[in-house]
Amino acid sequence: MTVTATSSTVVLDPRRNVPGTRPGFGSTLRSEWIKFWSVRSTVWSAVMLFVLGAGMTALICATNAEWLASGEADESPGSFITFGMTFAQITAVVLGTLTVTAEYGTGMIRATLAATPKRGSVLAAKALVLTGTLFVLGTVTAVAGYLAGNWFLDREGVGLALTDDGVLRSLVGSGLYLAGLGLLAAAVGLLVRHTAAALSAVLALVFVVGTMAFLLPGAWGEWTAKLLPGNAGSPIAAPVSFNPELMAPLPGFAVFAAEVAALLAVAWVVFSRRDA
Amino acid sequence: MCPPPAGREALRHDSTDSLPRRAAMIDVSGLTKKYGAKTAVDGISFTVAPGRVTGFLGPNGAGKSTTMRMVLGLDRPTAGRVTVNGRAYRDAPAPLREVGALLEAKALHPGRSARDHLRWLAASNRIPDARVDEVLGLVGLEAVAGTRVGKFSLGMGQRLGIAVALLGDPPVVVLDEPVNGLDPEGIRWVRTLARQLAAEGRTVFVSSHLMSEMALTADHLVVIGRGRILADCSMPDFIAEHAASFVRVRTPQRGAVTDLLRAAGADVLAVDDELRVQGLDAAAVGELVAGTDLRLHELTLVRSSLEDAFMTLTASSVEYSARTGADHAGAPR
Repeated sequence: MTVTATSSTVVLDPRRNVPGTRPGFGSTLRSEWIKFWSVRSTVWSAVMLFVLGAGMTALICATNAEWLASGEADESPGSFITFGMTFAQITAVVLGTLTVTAEYGTGMIRATLAATPKRGSVLAAKALVLTGTLFVLGTVTAVAGYLAGNWFLDREGVGLALTDDGVLRSLVGSGLYLAGLGLLAAAVGLLVRHTAAALSAVLALVFVVGTMAFLLPGAWGEWTAKLLPGNAGSPIAAPVSFNPELMAPLPGFAVFAAEVAALLAVAWVVFSRRDA
Repeated sequence: MCPPPAGREALRHDSTDSLPRRAAMIDVSGLTKKYGAKTAVDGISFTVAPGRVTGFLGPNGAGKSTTMRMVLGLDRPTAGRVTVNGRAYRDAPAPLREVGALLEAKALHPGRSARDHLRWLAASNRIPDARVDEVLGLVGLEAVAGTRVGKFSLGMGQRLGIAVALLGDPPVVVLDEPVNGLDPEGIRWVRTLARQLAAEGRTVFVSSHLMSEMALTADHLVVIGRGRILADCSMPDFIAEHAASFVRVRTPQRGAVTDLLRAAGADVLAVDDELRVQGLDAAAVGELVAGTDLRLHELTLVRSSLEDAFMTLTASSVEYSARTGADHAGAPR
């Protein structure tokens, strides 16, 4: 291996960084987009999200359609039509965590911040790429699950039309909720900088603590449970919630969004001050 | 001569918002970094000038990497400042086109290909994609451009790191321990590259803990130990000052010989069973002794290597050193 081309590539022009060619937020965004999609884990996570999300909805609708059509059903088909998104949530959390912690795990964060010293831009670009991807992917997955699941429900005469109350909202809401969860995981990842720790913390908070909290006594306990991120955010992703104690979809999502925003703000402050 | 560390207030330039007009350089002034009670970098000042390779030499833990991270705006100095091309690194609109850096070779996502790693970096600074293939060719990685870097050897990782440093065709190049993990051919390649970049008029700042490597690469040396500058001078000056020679004398009559040589104006140091003589050459020592009834068992000219000079200079600043048997009584450093 020899050095051949060095001399010819050198143009020492101190004024090369003239305005117009100077990189802006678009460059940072493009950079993060390339980074996001150039590792296999992203592609695998996206495939898993779709397969789990749409597949589990189809499966649960297929196996429950007959029961839902019978007189003894005590649940609404609206609780089943986006059921698979519960599993898609896990993938969204994994993707959100890895977006941040993979850089800390390898030390690549230093290359990122050397290339783009404006840390706010780096965080904003990461958040935009992540939430954009999760929103589109989540909505597409929910729609696919709806189409597949509804085919089974329709056969039993309990199908849901897109125009039925909450159906369209739940499909778009699935995308929104996954995007929010991904962002929550990314914020935690930025704070703890460790894949396993961030992943465990978020999954435990959303799936374990969220369920256990309903066992807390009194009005205080009830509200604590309702306000936990997973419980406040998830009703938007289903036409009818399984759990009648949860908040209404829109107020719940507003609470969830505020919680994610607050955590992200803390993560941003820490990120912009600490040594890379 | 190697000047002592400059005063902490040795500010040479003011940072301006205008584009750099003067020659590209790194200017470190009163730079300090503390981690809690531990001071990693202690008020250092030096300038890295263009057109030459400046070696940044020091034992492990001396503060080299910390200094380099502060140059690149990654770590915030506790005190002092560092400017590149007259302004703080963070203020550069397209930093990769001003400063190219190799920090840690294996700080890469193992699942990403070499080309993709360069592509996201290029995109962040609006460097055309064509330049990605150019630098891959430059470092000899074009054949493995699509291979995931997790399969790379340490040497290939170093080459990719150098490709990253050259991506923006920068007037300032910072390389932290670039020869780590390279085979002899790779080491020579880095050496040639560094010299070539400097010959093109670029500012080249290379760190190493190996004096032997620096001796072959650097024109100028900044030696750091325990966070302080120990020497800041040209390589010939460093050699003249620190790579001293002495005459080793072994004799059964050490006391008498010492008196004789000292009377003739020599510096004599007794080390173990030998005398180390400076100020008189071997011939002069021999002639002096020949005129007496004293006997010599050995008379040798000893040149200490640059490596030895460096070891001597930094001996007190090595953070963790292996204690030899004789040192057990002493306090660990």
